[in-house]
Amino acid sequence: MSAPLSKPQIIAHIQKSLNYTVFDCKWIPSSAKFVCLGNFPRGTGVIQIYEVQHGDAQLIREVEKPKPIKCGTFGATSLQQRHIATGDFDGNLNIWNLEMPDIPVYNVKAHKEIVNSIDGVGGLGIGDGAPEIVTGSRDGTVKVWDPRQKDSPVANMEPMEGETKRDCWTVAFGHAFNDQDRCVCAGYDNGDIKLFDLRNMSLRWETNIKNGVCCVEFDRKDINMNKLVATSLEGKFHVFDMRTQHPTKGFASVSEKAHKSTVWQVRHLPQNRDIFMTAGGAGNLHLWKYEYPAQRNKKDVDGVDVGVAGSVSLLQNVTLSTQPIASLDWSPDKQGLCVCSGFDQSVRVLITTKLNVL
Amino acid sequence: MSADAFSSHQNQPTTVDYTGKVPVEHLDYDYIEKCKDVKYLEKILRALRYNDVVSGEEGIYPHLIQFCETHLEKLDPRSRALRKENPVATAASLSHEEWSQIVDELNTWQEETKKNEASLRHQLTFDDLVNENIPPVRRSNSFVPLSQNSITKDRKNPTKRALPRDYREWDKFNVENECELIDGNTANNDPPASLNTGPPQIKTNVDASSWSQPEKLLLANREKDKGNEAFRANEYEEAVAYYSRSLSIAPSVAAYNNRAQAEIKLKQWDKAMEDCQKVLELEPRNMKALLRRATVYKHMGNFQMAAEDLRMVLMEEPQNTAATQLLCQIESKNKECQREGKKIIIQEVEEEDDSMNEEEQTACPVQPSQPVGGEESSATPDERGDMGNAQKKPHGRGDGGPHSESNNSHHGHWRSKGSSDKYKVSQEKVANGSNKRGSTASVPGDQSGSSKPAGGNTGETVNLDAPCGALPPPLSRLKNEGNLLFKNGQFADALGKYSEAIQGYTESGIDSPDDLCVLYSNRAACYLKDGNSQECIQDCTRALELQPFSLKPLLRRAMAYESLERYRKAYVDYKTVLQIDMSVQAAHDSVNRITRMLIEQDGPDWREQLPEIPLVPLSAQQHRREELPSAEVLQARAEKAARDAERRAEVRFTTLKQEGNEFVKKGQHQDAVGKYTECLKLKPDECAIYTNRALCYLKLERFTEAKQDCDAALKLEPTNKKAFYRRAMANKGLKDYVACSSDLQEVLQQDPNVQEAEKELEEVTVLLRQSLADSSPAKPRKTVPITEVEGDEDMTPAPNSESSCRGDNSTINLQPTNAYEFGQSLSAARFSRNTAACAELLASTPPETLPEFLSTHLDGHTVSFIMQALDSHLLEKDPNLVYQHLNHLHTTHRFSVVLMLLEKDERRHMTQLFEHLSAVESTEFSKNDVQNLANKYI
Repeated sequence: MSAPLSKPQIIAHIQKSLNYTVFDCKWIPSSAKFVCLGNFPRGTGVIQIYEVQHGDAQLIREVEKPKPIKCGTFGATSLQQRHIATGDFDGNLNIWNLEMPDIPVYNVKAHKEIVNSIDGVGGLGIGDGAPEIVTGSRDGTVKVWDPRQKDSPVANMEPMEGETKRDCWTVAFGHAFNDQDRCVCAGYDNGDIKLFDLRNMSLRWETNIKNGVCCVEFDRKDINMNKLVATSLEGKFHVFDMRTQHPTKGFASVSEKAHKSTVWQVRHLPQNRDIFMTAGGAGNLHLWKYEYPAQRNKKDVDGVDVGVAGSVSLLQNVTLSTQPIASLDWSPDKQGLCVCSGFDQSVRVLITTKLNVL
Repeated sequence: MSADAFSSHQNQPTTVDYTGKVPVEHLDYDYIEKCKDVKYLEKILRALRYNDVVSGEEGIYPHLIQFCETHLEKLDPRSRALRKENPVATAASLSHEEWSQIVDELNTWQEETKKNEASLRHQLTFDDLVNENIPPVRRSNSFVPLSQNSITKDRKNPTKRALPRDYREWDKFNVENECELIDGNTANNDPPASLNTGPPQIKTNVDASSWSQPEKLLLANREKDKGNEAFRANEYEEAVAYYSRSLSIAPSVAAYNNRAQAEIKLKQWDKAMEDCQKVLELEPRNMKALLRRATVYKHMGNFQMAAEDLRMVLMEEPQNTAATQLLCQIESKNKECQREGKKIIIQEVEEEDDSMNEEEQTACPVQPSQPVGGEESSATPDERGDMGNAQKKPHGRGDGGPHSESNNSHHGHWRSKGSSDKYKVSQEKVANGSNKRGSTASVPGDQSGSSKPAGGNTGETVNLDAPCGALPPPLSRLKNEGNLLFKNGQFADALGKYSEAIQGYTESGIDSPDDLCVLYSNRAACYLKDGNSQECIQDCTRALELQPFSLKPLLRRAMAYESLERYRKAYVDYKTVLQIDMSVQAAHDSVNRITRMLIEQDGPDWREQLPEIPLVPLSAQQHRREELPSAEVLQARAEKAARDAERRAEVRFTTLKQEGNEFVKKGQHQDAVGKYTECLKLKPDECAIYTNRALCYLKLERFTEAKQDCDAALKLEPTNKKAFYRRAMANKGLKDYVACSSDLQEVLQQDPNVQEAEKELEEVTVLLRQSLADSSPAKPRKTVPITEVEGDEDMTPAPNSESSCRGDNSTINLQPTNAYEFGQSLSAARFSRNTAACAELLASTPPETLPEFLSTHLDGHTVSFIMQALDSHLLEKDPNLVYQHLNHLHTTHRFSVVLMLLEKDERRHMTQLFEHLSAVESTEFSKNDVQNLANKYI
């Protein structure tokens, strides 16, 4: 731990206590505003918009919704519209215009049970191809939606008749580097990670990391898939090198035990795909850097390419609270700025310094 | 516990029990220090901490824990046991400056995003969801099974279609297409082992047409980031693809620059070169691009160009190690090449190379491990002398001998041994000598040399406020800052400091010529480094006026003269230096070199052409210890007041001159003449101004005045090439071909390489013969009928008239003979926005031929441009001609169409012209005529 000042520092800039349980928080792209999604004690949902101003987060708008809102994404909207897509406890997928949030611009009963996770691609100029939203639910299905198509999903990944339905905890888009290619990765409560290829409509790869998968994320959605980070219930996370898929061994990976408790979330820095932050169950944040190996693939004994995983190094870790940090979001516009929310009913704006020199 | 026991532990690390409890003996400084087993150490650390927190059964040893941690860190800095929980940092945990910087950045970002957001919202009101280029909705509700084994049997083929149900549909069935589809599918069914390693099919251009400007910037930036990331992961092809995407959205210097770097990695030299060129077009002084272009040149084998680019880089950033290294490589390669291919390489190239090297030397005084030999070393030591100037002064009193010597040897180790040794000695003496002279010169100022801290003490302790001679603290601070900057190679900044100091000095009215002399001398050094030899000479001259026969200004002036190729003056200065101090090796070398040059240039009797070398009084000679005669000092002070006034005039003079030069560049010669005339009022003996004004007169075709100016210039400087050349042109304009040819011959005699002069001479000889033949033989040089000569001129081939007007419109043919030439000239003038040239062109074109000439390329812009030219230049001189032109212009083919397409601005120009024209009284046309004509236009 030499030269502590040369390391990135994570600074608590703003802390806001809330009167509800916040599940997710997201920056509104191209703005200094963020959205908090949650659950009032009386059992209704809430959307709040805050603006960062002069060292304070000011509440601009608050809307109450009938059902608690679990997750949200801006990934499938245009930069001009910036509509947020949310999934709620009742299995609804709604898209809201935050200027007029009273009625949704799109809504569908997506799942039978709670929507645990949502992700979008094709909007904000991230990812070529159609704007699509993927939702993962407790009912065991993962569905892909196009906001232009009402009522039915454009792709549905669900267990066959007779298979046990696992709770899908997390979904993420990736590999959207041209009009056709696109992948969805889903993580389940039993430790399964499944990678669906939307181009061929097939399951491309699956693995099991032995513990419930809390969060998966590609380092970037809109490139030829490069890395995938999956975090798990017992404090480990795995980084998969997604460039080389071996027919039997799959993707090479490196795992790291980061936290003493569940790693709730992982988010890659939008400005540098090799840096990511994990949010832990003990209220701590760890900032990591992935370092590539000298050679990213090699031939195995049969002469088939097999990937080589790199290594991860810890850049900084801080403890914010005693309660889990459940969601984290980097500002897409300002490097180092991030917002995170925890089960201590508060939302924090953090600044991470010196990210540009890494 | 004995030492043997420790060693036994070390020798058998495998026997260490990782699972069990750490024996208490191991919780020991000695044991921990000797333990090399990281895993076991971690365990010990854990045990210690556990003790600390929970059990406490073995006691608490905070220092031992710390010791263990540091030891572990030494062995494995990334050990997990070292990770500690940190509280989150707050604003208070940063320094105030850091935090305020962060807050500032955040605030500016907030403001910017607010603006951006507003513009995005604004955008939204315009286009509501017009996104045609979004791909269609995916095939509805595909089902993907969750388990892998079911894929093959259940996979639905997205391209599968129901078979035609109708007979008519069978007609449309394309068998081949279907077959291909099936083939394609089977290929898809067996994906290769490694699915994702091949080059990705990334579209390299993005359709950005539907995005607004802020969006484009954002997305271009993001694509660039992606490129950077791919680059860092050593995936250069991907990086190039993303940079290309970024550029297709919004071109930026950074993206071009980075793409060039990626292409260098891919060894795509041509493409990299293109990108570097693009960067340099947008930003000519982009160091990275220069460096990259140099790399490309190097790999393409073009060492000359590479070295040139590197020299540019080093001029801006003398500390740039990458550039110096590359330069070294290139130099050695270049030498190899020359050695191998000696027969092929032409002498000239080698010479060029030498001179380049010299320039590099001067540009980069801190170049490490630069092999220097032969002539170059002779030039560099005196450079070093300038640099050493500041460094040696503090030790001037004699006690600093060893230090300055070590300084010298430090600098000297990288140059050729012999010269560095010699140089060392000489430098010592120079430093000592100048201090002694300084101390004897005036009473309050005697500390000027020795008390100067000069930031040169290898930068350890720099006291910027140290007093400097008689300078008040703010001025001495400026001076010291200047010295420091100079030492760091920031010559332009140092220059500013010195200039401020000088100005402050003149304003404060202090009476200490020594300090002023030093300031001027230092500023001269800056100018020299910046390659501004003229200014350097001026400053040196001023310094020498204050302190005649002071060594450094003389040496610098000599070098400046040399770089300006005024060898005679340089020779004189070097000789004077040697009179003052025989041991300045650099001066010896330079004198030798210049002697050779002068012999080449002037022949065996070169000495006769030299200006007089001043005799240095014994008192000023460095090896003698007598004091300067105080009379000299008094005289210097008496002159000072006069010089102050002069200096103020000087400032005004330079600004006027620069303004004049600006006007010339813009083609506003009339205004330039005004400025130059004012200049000459201030300083009637400035040769350059005369020649410049002569150029303007030439452009304005006022040949008599031009000739007068050239004469004046030649009186001041009898060998000024430019003056001769311009007088030749003036004479040509005056049809005095004999005088013209003699002037040109003079130019060529001075410098046989002036090709323009040669060409001109050829032409003029032809013209001379013709005019002799045409006119009566009795009076060869008088009254040549103008019409005839004009005919001659017309007959002369195009290049003649081209070279007859140099400068801005050197490429514009002002006497076109056919529509093609006219078109060329007109478009050349239009592209350079040179209305003057256009006016000249129109003046030399008969109005009746205008429609014919213009016919093919008449468009709105041309019409407007012609209007402007007529209005701004021709209307004053010859309104009749303007009327004639306008009278014929509208008869041009397609004119009415063009007229319809004119823009508002262009119409305004036209109305203006007619307003002006109607205001002119003329015999050839009446107001009514103008009105009628105007009706045809407007």
